This record gives sequence, structure tokens and C-alpha cells, in this order.
Amino acid sequence: MTAPGVSSTPAAATDAAPLLSAQLALARGAFTLDVTLHLAAGEVLALLGANGSGKSTVLELLAGLLAPDDGAVLLKGAVLTRAGDGVAVLVAPERRGIGLLGQDALLFPHLSARANVEFAIRVGGASAMPESNPHRDVAIGTAPETGGRYGRDRSAHPFRARSRAAIRAEADAWLARVGLAGRGDALPAELSGGQQQRVALARALAARPRVLLLDEPLAALDAETAPAMRQLIREQLAATATSAILVTHDVVDAVVLADRVAVLQEGRIIDEGTTAAVLEAPRNPFVAALAGVNLVVGTAVDGAILAPDGRLFRVRPADAAALTEPSVAAPGVAAPTSAPAAAVFRPSAVVVQTERPQHASPRNVWQATITGIEPGSGGVRLRTSGNPQVVAEVTAASVAELGLRVGGQVWLSVKATEVSAHRR
Amino acid sequence: MIPRILYIPAAIGLALLVLPLAGLLLRVDWAQLPALLLSRAALEPLGLSLATASVSTVLCLLLGVPLAVVIARSKPRTAGWLRAIVTVPLVLPPLVGGIALLLLLGRTGVLGQYLDLAFGLRLPFTTAAVVIAQTFVAMPFLVIAVEGALRTQGTRFERVASTLGAGRGTVFRRITLPLVFPGLVAGTVLSFARALGEFGATALFAGNQAGVTRTMPLAIYTAFNGSGVTTDQAVALSLLLIAVAVIILVLVGGRRTGALA
Repeated sequence: MTAPGVSSTPAAATDAAPLLSAQLALARGAFTLDVTLHLAAGEVLALLGANGSGKSTVLELLAGLLAPDDGAVLLKGAVLTRAGDGVAVLVAPERRGIGLLGQDALLFPHLSARANVEFAIRVGGASAMPESNPHRDVAIGTAPETGGRYGRDRSAHPFRARSRAAIRAEADAWLARVGLAGRGDALPAELSGGQQQRVALARALAARPRVLLLDEPLAALDAETAPAMRQLIREQLAATATSAILVTHDVVDAVVLADRVAVLQEGRIIDEGTTAAVLEAPRNPFVAALAGVNLVVGTAVDGAILAPDGRLFRVRPADAAALTEPSVAAPGVAAPTSAPAAAVFRPSAVVVQTERPQHASPRNVWQATITGIEPGSGGVRLRTSGNPQVVAEVTAASVAELGLRVGGQVWLSVKATEVSAHRR
Repeated sequence: MIPRILYIPAAIGLALLVLPLAGLLLRVDWAQLPALLLSRAALEPLGLSLATASVSTVLCLLLGVPLAVVIARSKPRTAGWLRAIVTVPLVLPPLVGGIALLLLLGRTGVLGQYLDLAFGLRLPFTTAAVVIAQTFVAMPFLVIAVEGALRTQGTRFERVASTLGAGRGTVFRRITLPLVFPGLVAGTVLSFARALGEFGATALFAGNQAGVTRTMPLAIYTAFNGSGVTTDQAVALSLLLIAVAVIILVLVGGRRTGALA
């Protein structure tokens, strides 16, 4: 197996050398993993897969909590992990500059929210890259206290002993950025699950990782809390220009947070590309089943989503309002117009009719051509024309009743209340 | 909601624990008590007991905490063996422990003869022997308590700390130790109490020399056997030992609840 750095076809469609390259092979009983990943600086890659597909194993391998049987992990050209041929290398987790935010916040229970963040500031490495990271330097301060995880980076981050007060101020600034200003003295047990996860995000970013690994960061949150946390992660990753790899089984996470998606099935990457390309037109039944939703990636216009082909998708009122708020941490400020956004709805929410429907309730109605009819999990799946394609799920009986066939013209409608919207 | 029938054995159990101590209190000659307690025969063993038990407890912490960490973070098989070995002194009659120590460190012992030859060091019947005997019987309590706390705690927080960039030493100081602090306190109290009450191993390995190895339990035994002192003296010394133990429990217990609040 060759080292990832000399791989002939890097998957990342970037001109520069990737920030992180990994080629990982591992066998554990019947399960085998064989994955090649590339991550460009500032990029967010989503690793999408079902339970047991090996997603979390990949993160443990990247974080150095696990050694592969064969392969390597390179960060900015430096070898963090090497196994198989040559001298085995496994740089300890604390010396990698790779952070990890899991589904459980795992705040240190004996430390206050502020002290949790302060801990990360003190021990965090000199892993932030100021040239690509102006926001952080302006908002949060400068070099970390210690020499950091990478001695050679000291020139970029001159050693600067910082006072307790400065570290405390930086921790409070982080807490404010995740919408928890004034809660610094609270112990983790006094915070809600969502608040704990916000502190965990602040703590993970305060350590200034070169790459942040996000392992199902929303899985433990309830349905009301998850969307705001998702938006907060999106905001903070962008604001700190943090490169990240996100592991999730939820397509919405990938849609909102990721620039690129790699789909993992049984330890292999079976599809990879930009989020829209992979999920809008799944090339593979597994990806389609995994996606399980219609995804319209477009721009937010007046609380609705404008698709690439000009269709306008009206969305449920609560989401329409959220589309105009730019920040979870600072609500009430208007978002820029035509920001990137996506609409998501279930195939079963799409009503198929042969005549133009007449309805009073707000809904999206358009005419399309059937491009494919295939069996689905809950009946029959109809693929329809347009950019992006929309999949409708209907019963076999209605296919016969309406005389549906490939090439036929139909009217499709989706209630606005069935359409969720997410800023990207 | 518990079955009422349980109250009967519970009451008998409590009586079994409390009545002997109550009986002891009834036998105390309160008029003579101040004189008995302030006598040299009482204060010398008390001082020796507190000093040796304190040193033993410190030794237990210095040696036992690292041992607990090693066991807690070993593979299950290794940990099982180590745990069994550590538990042996706990289930061993202290007298047997005393004999074992004597056979190892005695003047003609396996290790003792070389200590004598090389350094002229003779441990038996010294205050150091008292400390060794107390540490021998007390350390398992600390190791078991701390190891249990470490195992319950798991390594999740330590892993998070390391992905933030914290080195192993920092993680141990700032995360591991604070998280097992309640277990550490409980283990320390148990060790100190065990060291304070230690009799069998001390008697065999360290002897019963006034001012050198005669700790409170040995003094009580000596007094009770009537070699020069009266039963009243034994009762007074017992009362003193109970008082010291209760005071320590209350002090530490108060601090623990205070720390948790």
C-alpha cells in the first residue's frame, strides 16, 4: 500500500496539497476498513454512513486513539500515523493537533463551563493558522500560552505567557460566541444537554485544532435543540476557518455543515463529491436509501428556497423565519439576502396527480416528467425531471389508478409545512 | 417500601454493633478518666499511633494510588490478577501477615539477612516495622477504593482531554485525580482507620516495646492483660481510640459533603 501523499488521484478537488491525507486499512474480525481521505484547508468533509459502516473507527484512527493495520495519516505533510511497511509511527493524540467533538459533551464534571474552556486554551496547541484565520485572532486573542503541540510552529506563534485574567477573558469570549455569555460559572450538571454541547464546541475550538473531528455531534440532542446546535457549529466552523471531518448518519448534518460528502458503506467509500452532487442525485441505491429525502440546494430568497432551475420552494413558517437570522449566538440580526440554503422533504410528502391541483393551504406545485419508476421502501418511488430531481413515493395502487409511466406528465405538490429549510 | 420483616434483623445487627460500645461506656470510670488519659501510659501510645498511622497513610497514598491507576488501566486479565494479589492482605488474618513480614524482613529473613549484612539494617521491633506492618494491612483498602473509582470513571474524559492537547501528566493531575477524589478520600480514611487499629501484624513483626512499637491497640492489650495497668486503663484507652476514630470520620465526612455541595 502506498502512502496517501503519493496517491495518484486525490479525491479532493483542490489544487493545493491537502491539509490532511489518510489512507487507512484495518481488519477487526469480519469487519474490514479500507478508506482514503483527503481534506483541504478550511474544508468540511462529511463522512456519511449507516451504523456499523466504520465511520467512528475512521475518526479514532485519525485522532490517534487507534492504530491501523496498514496505511498512514499525514497532516500538512507530517506523518502522524504510519503502519504496515517501514517504521511504525503513532503520534499521541495530544500531539496531533486533531480535536474531537463527540455526541456526548463530556465536559469535565468537576470544572465550571469557563474552566472547561480555560483548560482547552491552556493545553491547546499552536495549531491555529493565523493567516487563514483572521477572525479568531481579532475576536479571541493571539497565541496560546504554551509552546504548543508542534515545536516548529513556534515562530508563527511566539511564546507569550498569558495571565489568568487573559485566559479567563478568552474563555468568556468563547462562551459568548456559543450563546452562553454569563453562564461561565455554571457546572456542567447545571446546564441542559444542548448547553453542555455548546460548551463542548467552545472547548474543542478553543484548543485550536488543525482539524476538528465531529462524531455525530447532534445525535444526543432532542429534535428542538439539534437545529440550533447544527447552525451554531456551521457558524463557528466558518468563523474560525476550522477544517473538519464530520461523521453522521443524518443527511441534514451533511447538507448544512459539509462542503463535500464521502459515503461510507461496510468500510469502503462508495461515493464522494460535493454535498449537492452526491445527495441530490444518488448514483447508488444505498446512498438514495441513506438520503431518504428530497434535497433542494439553492439560495434563500424571502424565506423560501430558490432551486437551480428556478422553482421556488416555500417552507414551513418556523424555518422561513430562521432563514433570515444569521447567527444562533446573536439572534435578531438580519441575514444577507440570497444566502445559500437547502430545502429538505420526504418523498412521501410529495403528492402526485395528473391534473393541476387546487388547494387552499400553502404548498409548492409544479409540473414534471416521470423519469423513473422503481420499488421503494414504502411503495413505489417516482423520479421526476427538474434540477434537482425530486423523488415521490406513492402506493402501487395509485401508480395503476393514475396510469403513471416513464415519460408521463404529472403535477407534483408538497405542503409548505412538510418542507424544512436549513442555511448552509 | 421495604418488607417489614427486614426491620427485625436490621435492629439486631445495629444492636450487635452498638451495644458493645455502649457497654464499654458504662464501664468507664469517669472520675478517674482525666488522670488515666493524661498519664504517660496513655499519651505515649496515642502519639505513636497517630504518628505511625499518618506515615503509613502517606505511604499508602504514594504507593497505592499509582498501583490503583496501573490496575484500573490494565487489560482485564492482568487487572484481575493484580486485584486478587492486592486483596490477599485484606482477607489474610493480620497475625499471618506479621509472620510473613518477619520471615521476609526479619534478621534471618529472605530479604532481612541481606539488609542486615549490607546496611546493618534490622527492621523488626522498630518503629519502622510498625509503619511497614500498618502499610501492609492498610494499603489494600486504598487501592481497592481508588481503583474502583477509576474504573467507574472510565477513560472518556481522559481521552477528551488528550484530544484537546493535554499531555499525560496534565491529564492525570487536572482530570483523573479530581474525578476520583471522593474515592481517594474514602480510601484514605479507610487506610488511616485500618492503620490506627492495626494489632496482629504489628505485635508479631514490631513487638510491644513501650515508646517504640507500643501503639494504642498494643497498649490496650497490655493494659487489659493486667501487666502493670488496670482494666480501667484499658477501657480508658479504648475510649480514646474510639474518640479519635469518630473525630476523624466526622471531620472527613463533613469535608466530603461540603465538597460535593
